[in-house]
Amino acid sequence: MSADGGELERTLGFLEAMTLGGGTMIGAGIFILPGIAAESAGPASAVSYAIAGFVALLAALSLSELATGMPIAGGSYHYVNRALGGLFGAVVGWGMWTGLMFASAFYMIGFGQYLVEPIPFLDGRGFVVGLGLVGLLLLLGVNYYGTEESSAFQNVTIGTETAIILVFVAVGLFFIDTGNLEPFAPFGAGGIVATTGIVFISFLGFEIIATVAGEIKNPSRIIPLSMILSVVLVTILYVLVMLVSTGVIPFESLGESPIPVSDVAVVYLGPAGVVAIVFAAIIAAISSSNSSILAASRVIYAMGRDGVVTDWFNVSHPRFYTPHRAIAATGGVTALLILVGLEVETIIALLAEAASFSFLVAYSLVHVSLVVFRRAEPDGYDPSFALPRPLYPAVPILGVVLSLVVVSQMATVVVVIGSAIVGFGVLWYAAYTRGRVVSEGLLREAIRGEPVEPYRVVVPVANPATQHGLLRLAAASATANADRGPPELVAVNVTPVAHPSPLQNLEADRADHQRDLLENAHDIAAAMDVTLRTRAVVASDVGEAILEVLEEEAADEVVIGWDGTLEHDGHVFGTAVDTVVREARCDVSLVDLRDETIGTPVALVAPGPNGPVVAHQAVEFAAVDGTVPTLLNVQSPGAGSDSDAETRGREVVTDAAETAGLDPDEYDVRVVVDDDVGRAVVEATHEYDTVCVGLSGRPEGTRIPFGTVTERVVGDVPCNLALIRGA
Amino acid sequence: MTRLGDLTILVPVDVSEAELPPLDVLDHLGAVDVVLLGYFPVPDQAEPALVRDQHGSTAAERLDAVAAGHATHDEVLVFTHDREATIDRIADEYDCNAVLTGGRATTVDRVLVPLRGDVNLDRILGVVADLLLAGDETATLFNSVPEDTDPTQGELLLMGAVDRLVEYGVDRDRLDWRLEESGDPQTDIVELGREYDLVVLGETEPSIRERIIGGVLSSIVDALDAPALIVRDVE
Repeated sequence: MSADGGELERTLGFLEAMTLGGGTMIGAGIFILPGIAAESAGPASAVSYAIAGFVALLAALSLSELATGMPIAGGSYHYVNRALGGLFGAVVGWGMWTGLMFASAFYMIGFGQYLVEPIPFLDGRGFVVGLGLVGLLLLLGVNYYGTEESSAFQNVTIGTETAIILVFVAVGLFFIDTGNLEPFAPFGAGGIVATTGIVFISFLGFEIIATVAGEIKNPSRIIPLSMILSVVLVTILYVLVMLVSTGVIPFESLGESPIPVSDVAVVYLGPAGVVAIVFAAIIAAISSSNSSILAASRVIYAMGRDGVVTDWFNVSHPRFYTPHRAIAATGGVTALLILVGLEVETIIALLAEAASFSFLVAYSLVHVSLVVFRRAEPDGYDPSFALPRPLYPAVPILGVVLSLVVVSQMATVVVVIGSAIVGFGVLWYAAYTRGRVVSEGLLREAIRGEPVEPYRVVVPVANPATQHGLLRLAAASATANADRGPPELVAVNVTPVAHPSPLQNLEADRADHQRDLLENAHDIAAAMDVTLRTRAVVASDVGEAILEVLEEEAADEVVIGWDGTLEHDGHVFGTAVDTVVREARCDVSLVDLRDETIGTPVALVAPGPNGPVVAHQAVEFAAVDGTVPTLLNVQSPGAGSDSDAETRGREVVTDAAETAGLDPDEYDVRVVVDDDVGRAVVEATHEYDTVCVGLSGRPEGTRIPFGTVTERVVGDVPCNLALIRGA
Repeated sequence: MTRLGDLTILVPVDVSEAELPPLDVLDHLGAVDVVLLGYFPVPDQAEPALVRDQHGSTAAERLDAVAAGHATHDEVLVFTHDREATIDRIADEYDCNAVLTGGRATTVDRVLVPLRGDVNLDRILGVVADLLLAGDETATLFNSVPEDTDPTQGELLLMGAVDRLVEYGVDRDRLDWRLEESGDPQTDIVELGREYDLVVLGETEPSIRERIIGGVLSSIVDALDAPALIVRDVE
């Protein structure tokens, strides 16, 4: 017994997810931004927080459905990359990464402010920036060397921090001077919306739950529950904090404070309150910044996994097993962003808005992705949390609209920075990702609005000598039908046994033979660049077993080999083949490979339901060697001139080709005028490499009818032969 | 409750270490089922899948190497942020009664069984009985009572335990007991443990404090030279 691959432990429970989400959200956002918010929206900034919370809630709803459908690392980036393809994946991936760095820098400057401000002689930007850098360095060090799960410690610190804010709010409600809340919205609706863009950063964090989705226990329950609940609770908390802050201190003086919450607390909680708030602010900044670094490394990991960025970042440290390169890169850029604070007075608002911008763009695309997933319904997407009507499509639509409204009200400089990051993502895709990424997204399927069913061709393989040729033909068939679904091959080998039972062990050499065959099939398919699945079946009746596979796979076509002889032991083509030809409910191509090259096919096209199928099959087979097939029709001279017969023949062929949906440049037409159709076909086919002939429609009885022409062709044609029967 | 003849032991090994401990002790336990758990501790900063991508095959090889030569029942490889959670989960999944940790031993002749007379007693005795019936070790049951208290309660506990083991079919010659009156069981166990090849301990429900700064049990296990068999406290 071997433990190949290894399991991945999911270690984060509900409480851990809540502290991760809530702890990241309750960061510098609520300790620093009330001042800036009050300055630009007055007491109505509480409304800004409510709007931002609502926008976040919409995103949390859409993300919940996506995350329960695909609970693996990467969050928004991953869903967008899958739904909309590599271009948008690159935009969101880079956006999230830079957004997390902006946020991290923002938290660390907030950290510096709260440490410096209460100490009179340590005033000044230099100290704030310096302390932020020291804090960041400490965090980077810890994260570089790695920490083991210390959720209990986290729970306690985040719990303490939350308790302090709750006391602040609960006591503060009694000290609100309603006079301070008048006028409620001194800067009007514009001010409220503009402020929403700044404070939106306070809600970054619920998303981190989706980013670490691969580590959450019972993801289908805990992810939606913790994301939605944490957003709702935190929104309520923020609105109350804002009401208390603007209610206790006039918003004009609140706006001048770099540490507004502490200034409010001193009014009714005294110096002890200030100490508690400073403590909470520092814990908040550190935990938020830490989670952001953690989330950033998950995003980079997911991008590297999908080939959107180089895998270089994803090499873990040889001793500490941390993604040290990703952490160092994240830390380096974050440090630079903090240093910008030396020069730029409004760095706090700028960082907050830039991070908000990135995530608002990401969330709009997440909403679009949800719609794409719903429409395309890819295999394996089966979210346990699905938005009920009318939440769907209301949530994604409202989400996109509101995100854009908030973005549109942001400061010009932020829009420029944000657009530059989006532009960088686009350039990155064009220069690096394109050509490397396999993910094409589901957009096309979504627009067509039907589930993507692959065009599936089943190939029974038994003989190593012929399987290469069969697989080539099948691959060509599947690829030629790419407009009907992504091409997929299924190679099946049936090993016959007298009395199959699940307990019976296959004799070793037969099992080996089966495995070798299917492994070879894989190699062939890999060389031809088609998707191949293999199925190994043990059954008493080979024909029935193949039929069963055809049904299970909902096959569109089966390409089956046959030895080119007729009428033996009371069967037409052979026991198994007869069963398939008689009963398969899909197109059947019965192939006898008498020659290596498929080359130029010729198809005998007669009027009737089989004509179009045969014509199409010839075009499919022609794709193997890139030739143009000839569609042949034989007319008996009968009445009228040869040219009349020629015209009649052409008409038959073009009708059939049109029904099959072929373009006139996909085939050549040839009409032979002869009494003896059989002879004419055999003679004409000397110039071709592969002959396609139709079998009569589905037989009613046990007997498979075929005409003298077919018999003659089977007997006399020296080249490859395919007998075609439509579904 | 006791499942005689059905003892399954979970043996966790840290497969991130290049040098893995020799599991000679397994060969001396007799006919018990062993589930070998190779765990790879993943720091919080890394996605477990990232570490598996890079170290999965090495880890699997190491685990196979450790398992080679010992009669193991199952092997599991897990990449985890939380070693304890993984041990708990795997022990549940594979119905393990006890977890073997720490220490090295080349033979297992003498087993020390400290008892505290609590609810876990039944399970500990069940495991000890299974262990003794599967191999040919001798066991010393041990209890420590505070100074200046009546030692009879401890004596009763130990003698009762010996009787229970005999009822399970263990030869009385292979059992003895010892009572200490120092009042510091932790030091006693570590001191006494030096003379033994294996110590059987009962798992305790960790308090919130123990979860944060480490419990009594883990400090005993760390201080012991001999391997410890931790009897799980689950139903």
